[in-house]
Amino acid sequence: MAKPKLIKERVPTPERPVEERVKSFVEVNLGYDFASALKEAERCIQCPPEYAPCIKGCPVHINIPGFLKALRENADNPDEAVKNALRVIWNDNTLPAVTGRVCPQEDQCEAPCVMGKVGDPINIGKLERFVADYARERGIDQELLKEFIAETDGKGRVAVVGAGPAGLTCALELAKMGYKVTIFEALHEAGGVLMYGIPEFRLPKDILKTELEKLEKLGVEVKTNYIVGKTVTVEELLQEYDAVFIGTGAGTPKLLNIPGILLDRIYSANEFLTRVNLMKAYLFPEYDTPIAVGKKVIVIGAGNTAMDAARSALRLGAEVTIAYRRGREDMTARVEEIGHAEEEGVKFEFFLTPVEFIGDENGKVKAVKFEKMRPLEERDRRGKRKIVGTGEYVTIEADTVIIAIGLEPNKILVEASGFKANPDGTLIVDENLMTSIPGVFAGGDAIRGEATVILAMGDGKKAAKAIDEYIKDKKANA
Amino acid sequence: MYRITAKEELDVRDFFMEVEAPHVARAWKPGQFVVLLIHKKGERIPMSIYYADRETGRIGMFIRRHGKTSFDLWDNFDVGDSLYAVAGPLGTPIEVKYYGNVVFVSDAVCGQAENYATLKAMKEAGNYTISIQTFEDRAHSYPEKFLAKPVADEYYLTTEDGSRGIKGHYLDVLKELIEKDKVDIVFGGGKLGSLKKLAELTREYGIPTIVTVRQIMVDGTGMCGSCRILYDGEIKFACRDGPMFDAHKVDWDDVIRRDSRFVREQEIAKKHYLESRGVV
Ligand SMILES: Cc1cc2nc3c(=O)[nH]c(=O)nc-3n(C[C@H](O)[C@H](O)[C@H](O)COP(=O)(O)OP(=O)(O)OC[C@H]3O[C@@H](n4cnc5c(N)ncnc54)[C@H](O)[C@@H]3O)c2cc1C
Ligand SMILES: Cc1cc2nc3c(=O)[nH]c(=O)nc-3n(C[C@H](O)[C@H](O)[C@H](O)COP(=O)(O)OP(=O)(O)OC[C@H]3O[C@@H](n4cnc5c(N)ncnc54)[C@H](O)[C@@H]3O)c2cc1C
Ligand code: SF4
Ligand code: FES
Repeated sequence: MAKPKLIKERVPTPERPVEERVKSFVEVNLGYDFASALKEAERCIQCPPEYAPCIKGCPVHINIPGFLKALRENADNPDEAVKNALRVIWNDNTLPAVTGRVCPQEDQCEAPCVMGKVGDPINIGKLERFVADYARERGIDQELLKEFIAETDGKGRVAVVGAGPAGLTCALELAKMGYKVTIFEALHEAGGVLMYGIPEFRLPKDILKTELEKLEKLGVEVKTNYIVGKTVTVEELLQEYDAVFIGTGAGTPKLLNIPGILLDRIYSANEFLTRVNLMKAYLFPEYDTPIAVGKKVIVIGAGNTAMDAARSALRLGAEVTIAYRRGREDMTARVEEIGHAEEEGVKFEFFLTPVEFIGDENGKVKAVKFEKMRPLEERDRRGKRKIVGTGEYVTIEADTVIIAIGLEPNKILVEASGFKANPDGTLIVDENLMTSIPGVFAGGDAIRGEATVILAMGDGKKAAKAIDEYIKDKKANA
Repeated sequence: MYRITAKEELDVRDFFMEVEAPHVARAWKPGQFVVLLIHKKGERIPMSIYYADRETGRIGMFIRRHGKTSFDLWDNFDVGDSLYAVAGPLGTPIEVKYYGNVVFVSDAVCGQAENYATLKAMKEAGNYTISIQTFEDRAHSYPEKFLAKPVADEYYLTTEDGSRGIKGHYLDVLKELIEKDKVDIVFGGGKLGSLKKLAELTREYGIPTIVTVRQIMVDGTGMCGSCRILYDGEIKFACRDGPMFDAHKVDWDDVIRRDSRFVREQEIAKKHYLESRGVV
């Protein structure tokens, strides 16, 4: 038999044209249709699951060849094919419409893909997204959901704090096992960063909301406007629930401690993105929350948050420059998003560290003074080249500044509950993700500092298993 | 949803509103506030609490018709209607303990609510309580039953034009009390400009002074940094680290300036709202 021919090139996914997308918050990438998804899935050489490097590269170990195979096996019955593929994905990941859009696949599953040695790696992220989207559009996910509804037979009650990817995953996994779960969320809507941070042009809110509907279907109760540590304490939760999971994320912005930080129109990326995304300030005054943005915006930082802020500012009509203290190769944002930002006209300046914000007579920012940096050969712990100041300065005009230099966990919970924590506020947990308080588990950015959606979900899943064992033990010994 | 259980005019500008929010009522302590979102398209606005009743699960607030949201709330929400979100309690409670002679001064809506709430707790903690409430004039002062009198051992009402109570500002009355050696600690709320002057006055006499630092907020939980202030040379978040701070350590000029960050947008919002109501 002739060897099947390897197709080296990816089947591309269409994107909205640049001119159109810089004017709106509508999603940029349009995704596959069934025919093109199938074509892309057929490029996979189906490495055996125990070997498949893509599975190993995925933090939650989705059975990737398995879901691709499911798509291929029912090529003449798309609905059936997608249903089977989604079932395989859901085994490991309950939010594929999200991860298919926001995971840095190029560093995870796609990085070691065997096809990458001869051509392009399989476009796993976009295929995952396709399965989720197609299923949602046809209502297939609703049908499949019925298979996952479990009897709540008095197994136990669990409180989940925070409705970001970590908390959501933990809640969904526990619900699938038959636990009664209540989520306590500080904001008025669930979703965490997915809701308030990541803009619609990357993750449309309607899509996120359908993912969130799973909670209700699986019997998870969500109490919004509850700030654990204020509205209710962890101690009180422990009296009512058999175990608690903390998924409060890393939501507090780091600000620069340099002169001028209090000037008007200097935003933390969180303030800017929350106003724009969660509160829909881009639709002001139809929506009540305002945002004041000038014509020349400087964004400081080079992670996903910086890209999201820059591209949002662009859509509000500004000229945007990203200033980063290191070089191009050290930017931490997803490659796709850096690409999108460049295409859309965001300018990049490298090796610049802000040292002062300069204001006008009304207290509004008018420029940023930077020190020029120089890279050294030496590398730091994370493999990035170290940088030093040169003693040379430049001043760049700006009427709006957005600071996106990182986030750390909010102190509210640690202070209110007496958890053992690291100096940066991340909670200390054991190998089962249990915190210093027995029966209280934690995961996601709350223990890692700023990380990723999929790592948060992985923690949520792992904690769910540990909580299950913990409660079983507790009940057995009671 | 959070049902409105009472609504009443206080003066030509401010009104009282009571809302069912048992989760807040059971946990609230003086110094803490709530965040309201009146409908899905609304803004998250912080509000001080006048009382929180654990038994009924209701909280009372004094609200000023200021701009779009507060106009909307007054015009379109009546007893029986519901607010979309009430989050809280937020902020750090003040330390309620025995200080001796405790004074609470206030000259605007959020301070008037706290004046009652704080002194009530302080009185229960055994303090001698003195309340000073300042209003602009008779037309802008509250009915008797909403004043802090019942929780004050000593009570003063002033109006700036003398049309009700003593003529003058709380600063004048306070100065006299200080000179009579009657003041161990001062708490305060209301206009930022007055709080700055209050800080200057009590600093001179070395009297501890704790006041509400109002800043424009979004989440109210320490997530966005909108409410940042300069405090003792450091950045603090008013919602999480406050809102009550040692008045002597606050950089008041920056606080006052940052409070007007969105004036232009607030005017647009107000105009848009009034137009939609056919008012202008
Ligand atoms: C702008 C931006 C863009 C990003 N882009 C990407 C991306 O493209 N890909 C990627 O993988 N990662 C991205 N990240 C990182 C990713 O979003 C986070 O790693 C992830 O959301 C962490 O999940 P989590 O569940 O731990 O916490 P969060 O998503 O932070 O959720 C925590 C939740 O807990 C709530 N909460 C906090 N404190 C309390 C309390 N005391 N009581 C009750 N509730 C509380 C919060 O309101 C929030 O809803 C981005 C982050 C940002 C800020
Ligand atoms: C801790 C705290 C307690 C408060 N307590 C009370 C209270 O008891 N009664 C009361 O009437 N008001 C109180 N406020 C102020 C109240 O939040 C604003 O008046 C309200 O947001 C005005 O909204 P608006 O749309 O009606 O008016 P706008 O036209 O939007 O604003 C009018 C003024 O209110 C302030 N403001 C606007 N938006 C915000 C915001 N998101 N956060 C904080 N301030 C804002 C600004 O000073 C602005 O100039 C408090 C504020 C804080 C921070
Ligand atoms: S590594 Fe690539 S080729 Fe191999 S199974 Fe995974 S996706 Fe298919
Ligand atoms: S209001 Fe967002 S940090 Fe205080």
